Amino acid sequence: MQIAKRGRAAVAICSSAFLTLGRAQARALGHAELPIAVIAHPFGVRTRDEVRVLADGCVDEGVKLATGHNTK
Amino acid sequence: MTSSHRAAELIEAPDDFDTINKLYRERKWSDGLPIVPPTQERVARMLAGTQRARNEVVAQLAPGFAEATVENIAINAVMAGCEPAYLPVLIAAVEACADQAFNLQAIQATTNPVAIWVILNGPLAKTLEVNATFNCIGEGSWANATIGRALRLILRNVGGALPGEMDRATQGQPGKFTFCCAENEADSPWEPLHVERGYAKSASTVTVVGAEGTMNMNSHSKDAAELVHVFAETMIHPPSNEYTHGGEPWLMIGPEHAEILQRGGIDKSELKRRLWEASKMRAGLMSVKDRQRVIDSRSEELGPITLDTMLPISTRPEEICIMVAGGPGTHSVYIPCFGNSFAATREIRP
Repeated sequence: MQIAKRGRAAVAICSSAFLTLGRAQARALGHAELPIAVIAHPFGVRTRDEVRVLADGCVDEGVKLATGHNTK
Repeated sequence: MTSSHRAAELIEAPDDFDTINKLYRERKWSDGLPIVPPTQERVARMLAGTQRARNEVVAQLAPGFAEATVENIAINAVMAGCEPAYLPVLIAAVEACADQAFNLQAIQATTNPVAIWVILNGPLAKTLEVNATFNCIGEGSWANATIGRALRLILRNVGGALPGEMDRATQGQPGKFTFCCAENEADSPWEPLHVERGYAKSASTVTVVGAEGTMNMNSHSKDAAELVHVFAETMIHPPSNEYTHGGEPWLMIGPEHAEILQRGGIDKSELKRRLWEASKMRAGLMSVKDRQRVIDSRSEELGPITLDTMLPISTRPEEICIMVAGGPGTHSVYIPCFGNSFAATREIRP
């Protein structure tokens, strides 16, 4: 949010269960349009390696949301 | 503090208790219980309880960061059933909640069941008849029930923490309806909480605590050292935010237990020191994943963490917090803390 306020490309990352919070928080802080990349919930029960795979899978969406361009 | 130009919105509604409550239910402005309709007249009466300006901004409350003005604190106080004399308590509680160290953002939005426990100290607690004795965190006292309830309404209606939306508590806890008491200063052998926290004995204060729940400790022991052991054994629990992050655990000591400790030569600071030592927990008691969270969170503080590392419940003994409350009986209460939060105290001003 602080990055977005400075006019830089910014993307928040939420798990699907927390998307409501993410959207509401962005609205409350005056950045309703903040792009949010979504990771399937839950990851609290996953191993670190599984979380790394999820994170890797989120990179493309994050870049696309931040730049409007695909990485591939 | 600044002043706000935004007055509360006036809503026309039939002068009918059931209809107004239906409206509040539909708009999610209630905690699930019926509210007292905050008419202009009732809000004006409530505002007479403070000398502060109606449009004064007391704080911005996370996670919605709306302005908590004196007026909208008063509106929620009416809804909860408060007396006008309680309004200054609520204003001070809101100020305390906004203290950065309290970490309201995390408390409001977490999956943890954390509730905000409100503790009153000083002469005003007695004047307002805030219960510090029998059943002090149970039902039965108008001040305890409505002050705690009003703060919860403020947290949701001004702070924006609606369950399932910005309040992500997995289960929550009953203390989220209301959680308020005074310290039983009259029956405590120790200096009151607010004096320990730097206020004059004659001052009246409110302290807010991010409280995970309550765990009763019924011990008929008359031996001070044994009581310390009982308390410490209760504090040890592996799935704890405190051991994970280093927290600020609270103990509500019953007056009889406090007396036994004092007679046994254990004052408040000695109790903290002994509890801190006796409640150290072997890291191996935690699950692998939970232990990893401790490693991530506390390695800088504690050095390399192995299965045999004895984890202190807080960074320093002084962070264990003690207050005395309750009536006669052999009960004390362990109140685990949310973890990433430190209690905040403010003086109650007219």
